Amino acid sequence: MVAETKADWFRPSAGLARTWLNRLAPFLGLILVIVIFAILIGAPEKYLSLKNLRTVLAQTVIVAIGAIGMTVIIISGGIDLSVGSAIALTGVITALGINAGWSTSLAVSVGILVGGFVGVVNGLAITRMRVVPFIATLGMLGVARGVAKGIAGSQTVNMPETWANDLLLTIPKQSWMLVAPGVWIAIVLAVVAAVVLRRTVFGRRVFALGSNEAAARACGIATNRLKIYIYALAGLLFGLAGVMQMSRLRQGDPTVAAGLELDIIAAVVIGGGSLSGGEGSILGSMIGALIMAFLRNGCQQVGWPNYIQEIIIGALIVFAVAIDRWRHSRMAIA
Amino acid sequence: MRKIFFLLIALALVAAVSCNRSGTKNSKKLTIAVIPKGTSHEFWKSIHAGAIKAARELSSPGAEVEVIWKGPLREDDREQQIQVVEGFASQGVSGMVLAPLDNRALVRPVEEAKNAGVPTVIIDSALASQSIVSFVATDNRKGGMLGADRLGELLGGKGKVILLRYAEGSASTEEREAGFLQEMKQKFPNVELISTDQYAGATRDTAKRASENLLNRFGDDVQGIFCPNESTTAGMLSALQDIGKAGKVLFVGFDTSQMFVDAMRAKQLHGIVVQNPFNMGYLGVRTLVESLKGKPVEKRIDTGVTVITPDNLDAKEMQALLHPPLDEYLK
Repeated sequence: MVAETKADWFRPSAGLARTWLNRLAPFLGLILVIVIFAILIGAPEKYLSLKNLRTVLAQTVIVAIGAIGMTVIIISGGIDLSVGSAIALTGVITALGINAGWSTSLAVSVGILVGGFVGVVNGLAITRMRVVPFIATLGMLGVARGVAKGIAGSQTVNMPETWANDLLLTIPKQSWMLVAPGVWIAIVLAVVAAVVLRRTVFGRRVFALGSNEAAARACGIATNRLKIYIYALAGLLFGLAGVMQMSRLRQGDPTVAAGLELDIIAAVVIGGGSLSGGEGSILGSMIGALIMAFLRNGCQQVGWPNYIQEIIIGALIVFAVAIDRWRHSRMAIA
Repeated sequence: MRKIFFLLIALALVAAVSCNRSGTKNSKKLTIAVIPKGTSHEFWKSIHAGAIKAARELSSPGAEVEVIWKGPLREDDREQQIQVVEGFASQGVSGMVLAPLDNRALVRPVEEAKNAGVPTVIIDSALASQSIVSFVATDNRKGGMLGADRLGELLGGKGKVILLRYAEGSASTEEREAGFLQEMKQKFPNVELISTDQYAGATRDTAKRASENLLNRFGDDVQGIFCPNESTTAGMLSALQDIGKAGKVLFVGFDTSQMFVDAMRAKQLHGIVVQNPFNMGYLGVRTLVESLKGKPVEKRIDTGVTVITPDNLDAKEMQALLHPPLDEYLK
């Protein structure tokens, strides 16, 4: 089943329509969500106004950038539960750097690199210490959160005004940008990641690793080194997500983003990623992130209480995966 | 497969149309969004009830005041609260009454909302911004000082005391903690503060764990305890009850709940400093509506703080503070 999905990339002629339908499925879901809420709210022009779209897009950026990294990890057959903590840690470090008088670009780079370092540690724990990814990153979830609180002195780290604060302004300072600069950064990263995954040797190896690790190793792929690269690369993205989080809060907050890893994993899964590896797409994950953001925004504007929102998103995850399974079984028969 | 999708869309549309409840909007109607820090504490329910009371009083035919109540999805998560504020701003409510989770992090969304024509009244905890209509809250420093007075008097001016802090970055509880420490040091110099640097975290559950750890370490020495809000007081109380120390240690808490009243009757809790959240919700909405109608309003409004002890527990005014008329407004 897994091999067949993979084969689709190589054989564009075979079942092209079906492949496209598969890829469009999350997109149809997004449109469905938007249409339903536009009607429920009773004022589609408000829900789809530039003002509201800007807000939703800016709110999606952190989950979206995290989901790019998570997609690569999940395709490779892994998982990373430490994202939320890594975001808090890198945000705190960037804020501390700015406070220490570093130039903003240096502080931001250090923040991103610390994210990469967390990823490398995860990768080493998984390969060298042979701890399964779930446990290794579960451990890191605690460690990174603790380190963040420790270096922040158990307080939020406030910092002077810099350009880093403007990354996720819902109404960007340069009006030609239309949406927050962070939204553009996320879009560019998503495109780059999608190309890397589909068109490069590295990307092919990630899919191979997630589809069948033993076979990948037998084909001569250095799977351990590849895993470390994957977690490091994703870590850099989580570091950037941390910088974005800091930008939104205008402070380094060691308690922020607790539980965000679940939103990010949900975005990947709604977008067609499979936790057993070998499947997933960046476009799908981005749409997954957007679906959740529009749902949240919509539920609020309809005036539904939070618990309904949580129930809907929970049900949606299971529903999305069920459709995915069903589609696969149909494909297997065909 | 395509059929199923169309079927789903059709179903969804039918469902959507049939429960479309927002009709034509009256231009005179005021929609006030009230955004608490969380929704599960009893404290916030009182604020909700007070806000609804104000809305009912201020509504007149043709010019209704509607209160929308919406907390952050994950309790005490700043990012989530920012999203709620942004959502209301882009939705275009008439105004917001906000209890900010952080005095800095919420500045940007509140100022962006103001620029979009949505003014904000801040309640409960301060916001480091001048772009607000008014700040309607308890004098938290005074609350902490009253707590220190009560505990100091109970101890007779000497003994070993623990302060269990609430969570990092919460302005209101930090004020209480500072007020408590200041008053304790000045008025009761012979009281020894043996632990003042532990944070309880956001929930009763985390508070209970932090309390257990503290009691394991200092349980044999401690003679007095102060906690600065509902969740820390509740967590500490149940930790004390679990190890059979409740009643043996002098304990002053903050905020109200039925659990605290029972504990005071059982002499396990020896005083609570209470705010008037019902009044806070009421005055928050009232101040905002007055400002929206063009009346001048005070920049700082105090909503009052009182100490309830096992002795004055049954007085009428204390009962009114302990049992705000929630059922009347939240049903």
